[in-house]
Amino acid sequence: MSEQYEPNIVAFLCNWCSYAGADLAGTSRVHYTSNLNVIRVMCSGRVNPLFAVNALQQGADGVLVSGCHPGDCHYMEGNYYARRRFALMRELLEFIGVEPERFNMSWVSASEGAKWKDVVEEVVEKARKVGPFDQFRRNKINW
Amino acid sequence: MNNNKPKIGVYVCHCGVNIAKTVDIEAVRSYAESLPYVKVARNYSYMCSDPGQLLIKEDIAEEGLNRIVVASCSPRMHELTFRKTLAEGGLNPYYLEMANIREQCSWVHEDSEEATSKARKLVAAAVAKARLLEPLEEKEVEVEPATLIIGGGIAGIQAALDIAGAGFKVYVVEKTPSVGGKMSQLDKTFPTLDCSACILTPKMVDVASHPNIELLTYSQVEDVQGYVGNFEVKVRKKARYVDIDKCTGCGICAQECRLAGRIPSEYEAGIGKRGAIYLPFPQAVPAKFTIDPESCLYLTRGKCGKEPKCVEHCSLGAIDFEQQDEFVEFKVGAIIVATGYDVFDASRKPEYGYQDYDNVLTSLELERLVSASGPTGGEIVLGKGEEAFVPKEVAFIQCVGSRDASCGNEYCSRVCCMYTAKLAHLIKEKVPDSNVRVYYMDVRAFGKGFEEFYDRVRREGVRYIRGNPSEVFKRDGKLVVKAEDTLTAKPLEDEVDMVVLSVGLEPRKDTREIIDLLRLSQSSDRFYLEAHPKLAPVDTATDGVYLAGCAQGPKDIPDTVAQAKGAASSALILLASGKVNIQAQISVVNEATCRGCGYCVEICPYGAIEMGEVNRFGHIVSVAKVNEALCKGCGACVAGCFSGSIQQKSFKDRQILPQIAVLGVVK
Amino acid sequence: MVDLEKLRNAAKEIVSQDDVKYLIGWRDGTFGFRISPHFMESPEEADKLIFSPLCTNNLATYLTMAEKLPIPRGEEPDRRKVAVMVKGCDSRAVVQQLVEQGTNREEVYIIGCPCEGVVDIKKIEKKFPDVLESVEARWENGQIVLKLPGGEQSFPREEVLAQKCLTCRYPNPVLADTVLWDEVEVLGVEEYEDVKELEGMDSKERWAYWQDKISNCIRCYSCRNVCPMCYCEDCVLERLNPTWMFRSVNVAENTAYQLARAFHLAGRCIECGECERVCPVDIPLMKLNRKLYKEVQEDFQFEPGLDPESKPLQASYRPDDKEDFIL
Repeated sequence: MSEQYEPNIVAFLCNWCSYAGADLAGTSRVHYTSNLNVIRVMCSGRVNPLFAVNALQQGADGVLVSGCHPGDCHYMEGNYYARRRFALMRELLEFIGVEPERFNMSWVSASEGAKWKDVVEEVVEKARKVGPFDQFRRNKINW
Repeated sequence: MNNNKPKIGVYVCHCGVNIAKTVDIEAVRSYAESLPYVKVARNYSYMCSDPGQLLIKEDIAEEGLNRIVVASCSPRMHELTFRKTLAEGGLNPYYLEMANIREQCSWVHEDSEEATSKARKLVAAAVAKARLLEPLEEKEVEVEPATLIIGGGIAGIQAALDIAGAGFKVYVVEKTPSVGGKMSQLDKTFPTLDCSACILTPKMVDVASHPNIELLTYSQVEDVQGYVGNFEVKVRKKARYVDIDKCTGCGICAQECRLAGRIPSEYEAGIGKRGAIYLPFPQAVPAKFTIDPESCLYLTRGKCGKEPKCVEHCSLGAIDFEQQDEFVEFKVGAIIVATGYDVFDASRKPEYGYQDYDNVLTSLELERLVSASGPTGGEIVLGKGEEAFVPKEVAFIQCVGSRDASCGNEYCSRVCCMYTAKLAHLIKEKVPDSNVRVYYMDVRAFGKGFEEFYDRVRREGVRYIRGNPSEVFKRDGKLVVKAEDTLTAKPLEDEVDMVVLSVGLEPRKDTREIIDLLRLSQSSDRFYLEAHPKLAPVDTATDGVYLAGCAQGPKDIPDTVAQAKGAASSALILLASGKVNIQAQISVVNEATCRGCGYCVEICPYGAIEMGEVNRFGHIVSVAKVNEALCKGCGACVAGCFSGSIQQKSFKDRQILPQIAVLGVVK
Repeated sequence: MVDLEKLRNAAKEIVSQDDVKYLIGWRDGTFGFRISPHFMESPEEADKLIFSPLCTNNLATYLTMAEKLPIPRGEEPDRRKVAVMVKGCDSRAVVQQLVEQGTNREEVYIIGCPCEGVVDIKKIEKKFPDVLESVEARWENGQIVLKLPGGEQSFPREEVLAQKCLTCRYPNPVLADTVLWDEVEVLGVEEYEDVKELEGMDSKERWAYWQDKISNCIRCYSCRNVCPMCYCEDCVLERLNPTWMFRSVNVAENTAYQLARAFHLAGRCIECGECERVCPVDIPLMKLNRKLYKEVQEDFQFEPGLDPESKPLQASYRPDDKEDFIL
């Protein structure tokens, strides 16, 4: 591991709360680290936990899934399903030896631009601490 | 077909300096040009401007582009703009993918190198997805030409009158026995000092008599199903125990009620009293009496003397203790939420002694006290009987429950400064030899005529003392306001006869119920969240549901009326066009691989999926079927499908997986 | 008590019913300790049926595997029942299939066989590596008796039973149209000792453990094919478009495959242990499944395959589900 190691995080954000919250962080010119890249989905319920496995496999050092706070889901229940699925996947990944620091979930509402910054920094910091992911990283990658 | 092989155009926006300041636009553009399937990569100062959009349209025509990637601001900002551009350029609007290099890149990263490399990644991910986009079709559904308005205050009334005036049916559902809301409790309105009742009551009457308006007072919305244009509403009409058709509003029952004058009146903010059968206020609409089931002796104890007095004295036989709640169901195309606000409960600031001392009043109580229709007939008198006196020394305390994180309300309630000025003026008018002072943090006189009015009140002798009192206590029978004049740094102990707490506005206690009913969200101040704070302040995240008045945040009457008219106009656009486009990015089932497990049916929050049968080589097998009008495109079913047989258009697994790959690989 | 006479008579009767298409049971295998499924269409075939400690196979798998040949126009599909013999664990597979509509209650006839536990074929083949002749076995006084070429030998259950049977809490069918003999005593207690042992390690040790196992995977997909809950017509884990994972055999793809398989079984696995039994490279797959089984039980108070009316775990939620892991 070089000193220069910078973790690469793939994040899945729901359109209505977390993506809007991340936009708000931008509008408010809150500065944070650039290690996290966002894929927008309509609802955290859309995020298949296997996306997280796939991301780790394909080069991410950590994953974040972020949705609306419980009860605030734009689609009423999507985040509840996401929560249950990710609770299971988290246990599973941890059990085969993936550090739990790599696998994160958060609730960030459309008004929580400041929280978004905190979440990003925390997720990146956690991934930085555990180092590059190399457990089941794919060697050659085509896309 | 022309569209088979992707030919992608990438457009990198400078957004003036907003993006260009931190992101090396040319580096991103030339990188984009090198990506597979990218035919054209350009940059432009403002892609959303006419010339920017024209650039895309020209390239579609001349270069034969069939996928467009715009790297600019958030898709929440301009996705619709560029979809329209594509459509105008002759391309299916869903062949658009955006890379958010402003809100989530240039604005949040300071280092130019980092921002540029992230922008490159985001553009590459967008290109990877864009090449797999599919054309989608937006379907139309009919709109039910009717509107539901929840709340019969001035916001609901105004919106109802506007929509009804345009010729559409309106249902107004009001929780209390009368429309009118908080405005009906006010004496005068600032800064013009119009009589509140004089300007409101005609509108209340209009609402009741308008042929297009169906007024459901003392009612509550129980259930809302369906979607924009086609909401199915169920309303509970609570039992009034009075037959509305028979009641003429003569009021003899109320005079005779055994509890007459013994129940705190909601309308009088608790300082006046009513009976168990009551009319909230003389100008109530409808002018029909209601029995309060929580206080009525007959309803709570099953016995009221020999026979309830109201029954005895109602010559029309309108009293009906057997009455039950009724349910009405109807369909509407749009819904306006105008549920208003609650007044801050002053007992949550115990240091001001609201609960301990009789002569500490809230501003709303004072409002009733100075009102000619109030319990004292407009005379400012405190105490009862022999103890009654006219307060001469009066102190207002501002920002009670506003701008105060300790009680969870960080926001400014926007009306308190001005209603305080108004009330101070009214006190000076009625008790000319009184001394009125206002303890304030800042005076916010931002509206039309506000500053002038504030000046006038000060000239009338109202003293403004900058300082937030720490305590109100009693000494030798007098109220003492303890404060510090922060302008002179002088501690004060001010002896007064009356303290008025200028209480703020809070979200309704039942906000959560409406949120669950209509799938709305709250902003951090707990009021309903609008779709966009600036550009869509009356819309909500739920299509076809609009906000009006203080439900969205504290407002004065002109702002409330303006927003109500805005909400009415939004609803009318929907109703007048008669059609609405439904979500195109909805779920679709691959019936060939669906294993019929029904997980998606269980998961769907909208009941949009049900099992249907298909014939697979003679075998009847059950597979999931999506009701396109009900599907909202959340994709929760997709992630729950083990066989990947249900997919969300534009968010298919095969479109997201390449994005993941790019974000993982590209450095 | 297992009564073969009773079993065969019942089978004859059931398969003779007009509304039964065929019956799936167990029969002697062709060599060693292996036994075969027996698909019986007429009563004459009943004599081959057996039920012994060697009947590890979960026959519920076949309910979803029936090939659906195209039906000529004008002909009706055969909607008669399939009768299936089930042990306790197998019956849970049927129940879970009913929950997920993989099996139709009207089209299945469940013959319950309370079971004292079946052998771990891998353990026993290690003990007797060169047995080629078909072996018979029976339960006797809490022991397992094997009729080996050299004569009968008796073993305590702890020595030869499959791990899943030693911890089995459901040896009796949870759902059956007929139960062949008296219920057996529940002896198993699940302590998840092996799972806890792994949990006690740190991430690196755990990964070392799994990497060692998973790197052996040859992606034969036997674990998936044998699983009574894996009945998708077209498995996403093998699909090319979109490609969730490559078919190539290496640690990265193998791990992704095993994670996905285990995840798809979360809240659905009924612990029949078939995946682990058929794995040719001895990956302890049930550890993954049981880890999730444990979490599902602890976090969501849910056990699959017990109630045909229950809602699937992954298609339901409770607003107060645990969320201590959320930032």
